[in-house]
Amino acid sequence: MTNPHWQSDAAAKRISRRNAAERRFKLLGLGAIVLSLSFLALLLFIMLKNGLGGLDWSFLSGTDSTDPDTAGVWGATKGSLLTMFVTLLLSFPMGVLAAIYLEEFAPKNRWIDLVEVSINNLAAVPSIIFGLLGLAVFINTLDMPRSSPLVGGLTLALMTMPVIVISGRNAIKAVPPSIRDAALAVGASKVQTVFHHVLPLALPGILTGTIIGMARALGETAPLLMIGMRAFVVTPPGGVTDPSSVLPMQIFLWSDEIDTGFVQNTSAAIIVLLVFLLAMNGLAIYLRNKFEVRW
Amino acid sequence: MILTGVFLAVIGLGLVGWFAARARARLLYTGRGSMHSMPNYHGWHMALWIIVPALIAWAAWSAIMPGLVDSVVMADPAAASLPPDAMHRDAIMAEARTLAANPNAPVFNAEAQTIAEPLRAAQTRYGLIGALIIAIVAFAGGAFGFTRIRPDFRARTHVERAVLGLLLLASLMAILTTFGIVASLLFEAGMFFKDVSPIAFLTGTHWSPGNAIGTDIDDNFGAVPLFWGTIYIGAIIAMIVAIPLGLMSAIFLTQYASHRVRRWVKPILEILAGIPTVVYGYFAALTVAPIIRDFGATLGMANPSTESALAAGLVMGVMIIPFVSSMADDALAAVPRSMSDGSLALGATRSETIKKVLLPAALPGIVAGVMLAISRAIGETMIVVMAAGAAARLSANPFASMTTVTYQIVQMLTGDQEFNSPKTLSAFALGLVLFIVTLVLNIIALRVVKKFREAYD
Repeated sequence: MTNPHWQSDAAAKRISRRNAAERRFKLLGLGAIVLSLSFLALLLFIMLKNGLGGLDWSFLSGTDSTDPDTAGVWGATKGSLLTMFVTLLLSFPMGVLAAIYLEEFAPKNRWIDLVEVSINNLAAVPSIIFGLLGLAVFINTLDMPRSSPLVGGLTLALMTMPVIVISGRNAIKAVPPSIRDAALAVGASKVQTVFHHVLPLALPGILTGTIIGMARALGETAPLLMIGMRAFVVTPPGGVTDPSSVLPMQIFLWSDEIDTGFVQNTSAAIIVLLVFLLAMNGLAIYLRNKFEVRW
Repeated sequence: MILTGVFLAVIGLGLVGWFAARARARLLYTGRGSMHSMPNYHGWHMALWIIVPALIAWAAWSAIMPGLVDSVVMADPAAASLPPDAMHRDAIMAEARTLAANPNAPVFNAEAQTIAEPLRAAQTRYGLIGALIIAIVAFAGGAFGFTRIRPDFRARTHVERAVLGLLLLASLMAILTTFGIVASLLFEAGMFFKDVSPIAFLTGTHWSPGNAIGTDIDDNFGAVPLFWGTIYIGAIIAMIVAIPLGLMSAIFLTQYASHRVRRWVKPILEILAGIPTVVYGYFAALTVAPIIRDFGATLGMANPSTESALAAGLVMGVMIIPFVSSMADDALAAVPRSMSDGSLALGATRSETIKKVLLPAALPGIVAGVMLAISRAIGETMIVVMAAGAAARLSANPFASMTTVTYQIVQMLTGDQEFNSPKTLSAFALGLVLFIVTLVLNIIALRVVKKFREAYD
């Protein structure tokens, strides 16, 4: 027996209205995604369209110049590599050691709470503030060489460290307690347990987080602007104390040029930077898929 | 020069000590249970005793040596011809230092040539004295460590204590960085507020640091237009773009999309968050801004500018989409399944469930996510530097060029290099305001997220 009320015209109308609303809502969600993705596609398309023509060997091996035809990105790329080297050298050990301490050894007290709060906040502080810190401390107080990969790397290391600490803690937390219990049960000390058993198991996760943090640092411009890495550098830097530029800064400097030839250079440099970032993120995803253990 | 070599020598010596102590401990080893610690720990113990005291000595000497060298050079007869004014003299000293390191370096001041020779001699002399002191410290430490190698010596306990110290030190870096940020901002901003009253800075509506000379200095450092520009671009325009798009994509991905679609679309959406801001800035300036200018012209604007608040805010909003989306994703996922199941069982459609049940339940989490997104947007620099413009004005016209706090920080610090003028110092005062605002937003948001998670656990 069906309820006749359900088959009335009014009910049918109401149901079809509700179904239409449902479809509209779903379409709205789909539209939001399509709009976001098409923006991404447009951005990539325009950069490829403008820049692909300029990508050749002389562009990849050349250095900055006032002439758009001879200008290249090798000087800036080398500056970026040196800066990233300094950043990695500092932030990786520091970040991993801090993550180990906070996750495995830290007592519960006010000091440790303060450390946790400051790490979480540092991860959200605008990058330009780190630039102000670098300018005030490294350059004005400690008198380190301006525009150098050393200062740039130090500044970015302070910015990257919280990211590594947070991802490192999550990776260490994911190692099940049974591993620790087993090591402790056969007589390993706490330090041995952590360094011989927990850390190797957490390492893929830590590395993934580190690569993502480094990719962020590689694309960063604002803090480096503060410490003067916008010099016009014709010779590639020979060491970490030489004045140099970095890839995103080169993009910024070229984007300001009036000569229209630099539009192609800027877009080509953006392609180079995006390829680097894509490779790093690809590596991070590969590491995660290859070594991730589901406990 | 010499000190760099000494540093490497200390590390090398530590390595030698490691092998020596390990070999010695192995000789003492007679069988299971005959020693408290494994030979490797004896090696580490000795290496630490060599390296740690020697590096402390090295750091101390590196800090005091330049002062000693300078005072010797100043006392040298060759330095008598130097000009008395300190700044000029420092420049010559800096050149002499370069010369001492590299005799072929180009010089601008002839005096640098005359003092380069005594400078190099003094550097060599004090370098050798330092090397000697450091060597004595290293060997003394090593000897002490070596005598302690005995079967019952608890080398492992000592080494592990040192490891724990190192771990603690690393985690204190975070506090040190926070402290460094607060201290440097407060110090430099304090210098600024000596010249400009904080009230004029926070409430004044006229910003033109270029004109600030003499007595009317307070009138030219009114930062309200900058605050308005920052809020208008970062918290209004960008959020009008990011909130609906981010929220709707999160709803679609979590509620409607199949598992396969979600697995592919989500990482692609995240690419938007991984693109460097300088790329967005260039895109905004190259593509979006001209479109908006033309659009403004068709709306009948009298000469719309290429740089506009709308172009910067729009692109910034797109950049924030994945951030809002993943925050909303987390908030929606935290709502217990039973709540939406109950609503669906009563006959509500999916969209009715989302609008009437899921969204209200997830609201605190979404609001916290939006706050974090705003804090990220107002601290964003490159997009506004490249697309928003330099004009400090209080206007609600999105087609007008508008400036922000971050833009002015960059502007003040990349122009002239005169460091202690109010103009450059104002950047630190602006930085301080930015830091405090983002800090407050972050703390509130993180707290809301935490409370919200607990409510459903």
